[in-house]
Amino acid sequence: MTAPLRYERVSRWYGPVIALNDVTTSIQPGVTGLLGPNGAGKSTFLKLAAGQLAPSQGTVQVFGTRAWGSPQLFHRVGLCPETDAFWEHLTGEQFLDVLLRLTGYEEGERRIRTGQALETVGLTAAASRKLGGYSKGMRQRIRIAQALAHDPQLLLLDEPLTGMDPLNRRRVIDLVKRFGREGRTVLVSSHILHEVEAMTRRVLLIHNGRILAEGEVREIRDLLDEHPHTVSLRARNVRRLGQALVGADHLLSARFSSDGEWLTVQTARPDDLYGALPELAIECGVSEMFSPDEDLASVFQYLVGRK
Amino acid sequence: MPVYDQSYRRYEARGALRRTRFWPITREALRLILSKRTFLLLLLAAWVPLLGHVAYVYVTTQYPEVGRVAPVDGALFARFFEFQKYFVILLTIFGGAGLVADDLRTGAILVYLSRPLTRRDYVIGKLSVLMALDLSVTLVPGLLFYAVAVALAPDTLLSAELARVPFALIGQALLVSATYSLVGLALSALSRSARVAGLALFGLLTGLELVRLVLTEAFDLPLAALLSLQANLSRVAEALFGVESGAAVSWWAALLVLVAAGAAALAAIRSRVRAVEIVS
Repeated sequence: MTAPLRYERVSRWYGPVIALNDVTTSIQPGVTGLLGPNGAGKSTFLKLAAGQLAPSQGTVQVFGTRAWGSPQLFHRVGLCPETDAFWEHLTGEQFLDVLLRLTGYEEGERRIRTGQALETVGLTAAASRKLGGYSKGMRQRIRIAQALAHDPQLLLLDEPLTGMDPLNRRRVIDLVKRFGREGRTVLVSSHILHEVEAMTRRVLLIHNGRILAEGEVREIRDLLDEHPHTVSLRARNVRRLGQALVGADHLLSARFSSDGEWLTVQTARPDDLYGALPELAIECGVSEMFSPDEDLASVFQYLVGRK
Repeated sequence: MPVYDQSYRRYEARGALRRTRFWPITREALRLILSKRTFLLLLLAAWVPLLGHVAYVYVTTQYPEVGRVAPVDGALFARFFEFQKYFVILLTIFGGAGLVADDLRTGAILVYLSRPLTRRDYVIGKLSVLMALDLSVTLVPGLLFYAVAVALAPDTLLSAELARVPFALIGQALLVSATYSLVGLALSALSRSARVAGLALFGLLTGLELVRLVLTEAFDLPLAALLSLQANLSRVAEALFGVESGAAVSWWAALLVLVAAGAAALAAIRSRVRAVEIVS
């Protein structure tokens, strides 16, 4: 069976900077994690698949058709960009309606699909609220909703969990897994191994524009566990969060930010930390979390050094 | 090997691109622009010169002695466009400055271009917004003016001498609207700020007009008229409406400059409209 997404000796450079270097790979149905530190070439990789960039060399094929210059492919492709790109004056419902109109759907079908997409991402109650008033997590979810409203076969998700609180993170992870189970092809980029691991076992490691490795996430994870994992958490009651975590035996260090809003912890066993978070999120009002990029970068340095 | 439940099935074969795929872009932008009350007032104000010109025709038909001094002829319609031109400039500044600039600033252009649309569709969609606005204050009142004038003075307007007027009206309306729409959209595409784009358009038009004035009046360089978009449009209008002109610049040279300005604007738009900001 031909892979839905294929890269054949693809390079892309911006002036003298090489963003992607002679990449050959194929992405099969199901969820594939595209993992790499910031600046590794993940976004370029996704934008080439989304037909937003022309490869400098090589070909990118989506469902057997060249991605660049084939706008008809967007009936079958959904792109969730990394950045907010909204019309703030529209409500969530209107936003999806406009985008479905652009995709070519008639009014009745637009209404049905808008309702379904909002329900899928859990934003039905906020459908008539203006996007300008959406929280960070809601904005992330409406971004996913616009990518899937037209029922695409290939979903490209660029850092879909960035800035989300643990509960919304869980919700999006479940969604991505569901898309994969349904047989869609989902390519999801992240610079955090544990995020990707929660969604899939299949990963593509990208570093300095090259595919470093592809295969099972477990092998990478073993390497990561040798390194302390850093997580920053923002909470309403950050002191209480610190108290709750400080007794855990996996915790190596904890540090409060000077403004008293953030807690940065280092853990030897990230799974234990992430497992405890949903409960703590409710208890202490965790509103945002992220894992600093250097964490993964150090693993990549380690991997590169081992080669 | 992973086994998927395969509950996802596509039940329709959407593949071909629709012909009117630019329309939702135009529609949404127009909806946003026309939701502003001040903009609606500006659109209404653009119809005031029509009332004045209709009154003019009425008076000349009622008082033949006035008609001998101020006749109903091609020059009257050319003058009508001189008034409308300023409204076109204002509409282009206030309606068009943010059309592409806002999309570039917010990244919304990526959302457009990740749909089954080409860059050409996007440009046509945005250009149609300005064309619709500009034609609503040139072509529509122009044809209405002509219809009322024919009703008031049929013998004059339907004479062989003025048979060219309806065609000239359509031609001049299209030329004025297309010129300002293209230049306005190009300046919007060259900036990420609607305010900067609006000021740039105002500065460009008034700046070139000032340069023309200084060079023609102070330095006696009549060919400098080619520098000004407004002057070139006026020169073409004179030719279209059959008005005798003492201008040193021929109408085709003026038209050539306008075509070149439109082509340059299109090239600028083309270079800027893309989903991904390339930083080299």
